[in-house]
Amino acid sequence: MNVARSPTAVRMLRNGPASRVVRRRLHASSPAVVATTATQCDGNRGRLQKPDWNRAVSEAGKVVGYPSSFLSLRWLLSDEIANVALHLRRMVSSNHPLLKTVKGLFNNCQSNMQAWGLIVLLVSKAAGHINVDSSADEDKSGVLRSQRALAEIAEMIRTSHLMHNGLINIYPEMFPKSVDYDDISYGNKIGLLSGDYLLANSFYELSMLKNQDLMELISSALRDLSEAEFVGRRDSQNNPLPSPFEPLNRKLGSARLRFNPFQPSGKLRGGMPLTPALRDWTRRNVLSAGSLLGKSCQGALLLAGHGERLQKQGFLFGKHLSLAWQAYLDLEPFLSGSPHSLGISFNLTSAPVMFHLEHDSSLFKEIDKGINSIQDVDYVKVHDIVIKGPGINYTKQLQKEHSEKAMEVLNVFEESDARTALSNIIIAMDRE
Amino acid sequence: MASRITSGARLCVRASIDRLVCNLSRSRHHNAVDTAAVSRGSDRMLQCYQKQSNRIRSDHQRNHCRRFTTLQDTDTDSLSSIDPYRLLDDDLRDVYTDITRELELNTNQDELRTIATYYFDGQGKALRPMVAILMAHAINYHMNNNGLDKKQREVAMIAEMIHSASLIHDDVIDQSDFRRGKPSVNALWSHKKVAMAGDYILAVTSMMIARLNHNDVTITLSQIITDLVQGEFMQLGSKETENERFAHYLTKTYRKTASLIANSVKAEAMLAGADDQLVDVSFEYGRNIGLAFQLVDDLLDFVSSKDAMGKPTAADLKLGLATAPVLFACEKYPELNAMIMRRFQEPGDAERAFELVHKSQGLEQTRFLAKKHCLEATRLAGKIAESPYQKSLLVVPDLIVNRMK
Repeated sequence: MNVARSPTAVRMLRNGPASRVVRRRLHASSPAVVATTATQCDGNRGRLQKPDWNRAVSEAGKVVGYPSSFLSLRWLLSDEIANVALHLRRMVSSNHPLLKTVKGLFNNCQSNMQAWGLIVLLVSKAAGHINVDSSADEDKSGVLRSQRALAEIAEMIRTSHLMHNGLINIYPEMFPKSVDYDDISYGNKIGLLSGDYLLANSFYELSMLKNQDLMELISSALRDLSEAEFVGRRDSQNNPLPSPFEPLNRKLGSARLRFNPFQPSGKLRGGMPLTPALRDWTRRNVLSAGSLLGKSCQGALLLAGHGERLQKQGFLFGKHLSLAWQAYLDLEPFLSGSPHSLGISFNLTSAPVMFHLEHDSSLFKEIDKGINSIQDVDYVKVHDIVIKGPGINYTKQLQKEHSEKAMEVLNVFEESDARTALSNIIIAMDRE
Repeated sequence: MASRITSGARLCVRASIDRLVCNLSRSRHHNAVDTAAVSRGSDRMLQCYQKQSNRIRSDHQRNHCRRFTTLQDTDTDSLSSIDPYRLLDDDLRDVYTDITRELELNTNQDELRTIATYYFDGQGKALRPMVAILMAHAINYHMNNNGLDKKQREVAMIAEMIHSASLIHDDVIDQSDFRRGKPSVNALWSHKKVAMAGDYILAVTSMMIARLNHNDVTITLSQIITDLVQGEFMQLGSKETENERFAHYLTKTYRKTASLIANSVKAEAMLAGADDQLVDVSFEYGRNIGLAFQLVDDLLDFVSSKDAMGKPTAADLKLGLATAPVLFACEKYPELNAMIMRRFQEPGDAERAFELVHKSQGLEQTRFLAKKHCLEATRLAGKIAESPYQKSLLVVPDLIVNRMK
């Protein structure tokens, strides 16, 4: 039922003989999938107590005339993906995390930032375009075809990264039963190939846009995504753990990333000082999220014929928005009243924990227990320590400052429904 | 695995003495470096690795001797005295170094650097860069262009980088322990990091493609990546009827192997400013070379493993793959059909299939098909103006067929 609720899926189900194949496969394999996604969706809504976010996003979708996810018809109906659906069926019993990723794709909850493509479109519309033959390239909502393609590419790259990140590291003697081993290695194979398929398609679609600056820019975002998985200490499943902080005088970044994005772009207005922990958090999240959204927004402006100055603003908007969003997500498990606070695991490199570690490094003693598996960390203990410290307030401030920065960038655009939609999305993140 | 080493070594028969000596000293150097990297892996792995390295080294030495006889035997024949690797020594020498530099420049993470550059140790046979640069020179000569353009050399690097990225992802998929005589990346590092390193290589490659700043070349080179993935997907499935199956196999072979060679030489011709007809000639040349190369590879999987291990252990069969020799053998032994459909999963399937292939004409027919593609490649190369490079293009098909010896 959740599948049917998604506009894309509805269209897919109504369409032609090819879609019937997919439909059959979806239905054959999906009762469990559907049920889980539905609860997840409702659960998210209840937990976040943020109907505004969903509304802001779906209203925004109307502005640019597009469903919020780009899991497009074309994509779903391709032979390869129909094949994957068939293979996934074999895996339903195996518990491989790939299934969760795929569920997420069919899941129409906007809260999990499937809205990235939408942001790119809104920025495109808010900025308008110059020097482009609009009659040929523009659709009725005022977005260029090439910008739509770019939005789709950004989502494909992101999804591909999620799939590759969902692989399981297999070690000898990890699965005494060969059945389990076979299941997991099969899941890895399908996850890797599906991700590769999306990646190959992204490159191909990019090449068809015939803009080599854009090609280089977006490829560098993929480079940053893959680099992100090597930052800092990792447990045996490559889950991140905080590392001792590097002093500020040690250079971390290099000039190859445009606009020096490791720095929180100058002084944040609220005057949050740049500390080693802040720099570490920023670097991780710029690489794993800010770079792709920032560069996609920048690319949308590049396609519209805007100059470097405005392109830079596009980059900053995407970067700050994704960092604000990340701070918001990082905060969630630490807010009282949230069901998450009852000892469920959270990211050990999330902002509250990192800020706390900087305040009191004795917490590293507990963190270090997770060096083999982050499951060995006592999350309840870390949680209790962190909520008593200054980490929460710092993180709130961090979110606020990035939100403000993103909002500030919006002022360079003229008043429009797209600009309003973007600012509504930022406002919807505000808990107070 | 064994087939790869042997085939690599066999190709070296044709390499010049200079190059061999150079390779030998280089391989010694790299063994030292690699051993350090390997110490992180298990001891068992290390032992096997050293065994493999020794085998390669003795292969090199044996080839060294064989080379003398080859020279003496064939000095009279003008074509067989041509050695493309020697001809391109200047252009090829630093290909791996330059790739490594490019990959190292793009990240600050040491571990990512190590994984991403792992297969660029100069041990590969660099077939793809060699053919690409050869075509670039030949077309340049044909067009009266001056020398090799910097971008053309970049295309050769790009071809090798895409190839390596796909090898790295293949390693995760096939869970193989060895490649090119050393532990494969997935035996040394975690699957997730290896997958990411593959993505990283692709991203850096794609940035290099963009910097060529040529719209059509970018499209041509991006097509390679799409083909590779689609070929990999085709390998997951099999077709019901014999006819469909062979077409499926050939398309898969084109996508997984030939597309890379065909599209990279096509890009070379485009960068030289060749007209559509000449671009087509180079593409078709590359396609035929690529198909022949893979057919021979599939053939060697049956032949050389028997020589090396003395027992039937065809790697492809074990992966459940039905390649040309099996598909041909089907005509005489229809019982193979059922085995193909169940991907040789029942006990004894692989051994039985191996035996039937050897009893049938499958190997000869595969060889014949490979030769047919080589002849076609030679015919196409004949359309390019005569030059030392064009002559080398005529020799490359021979190199590929000679791997069969």
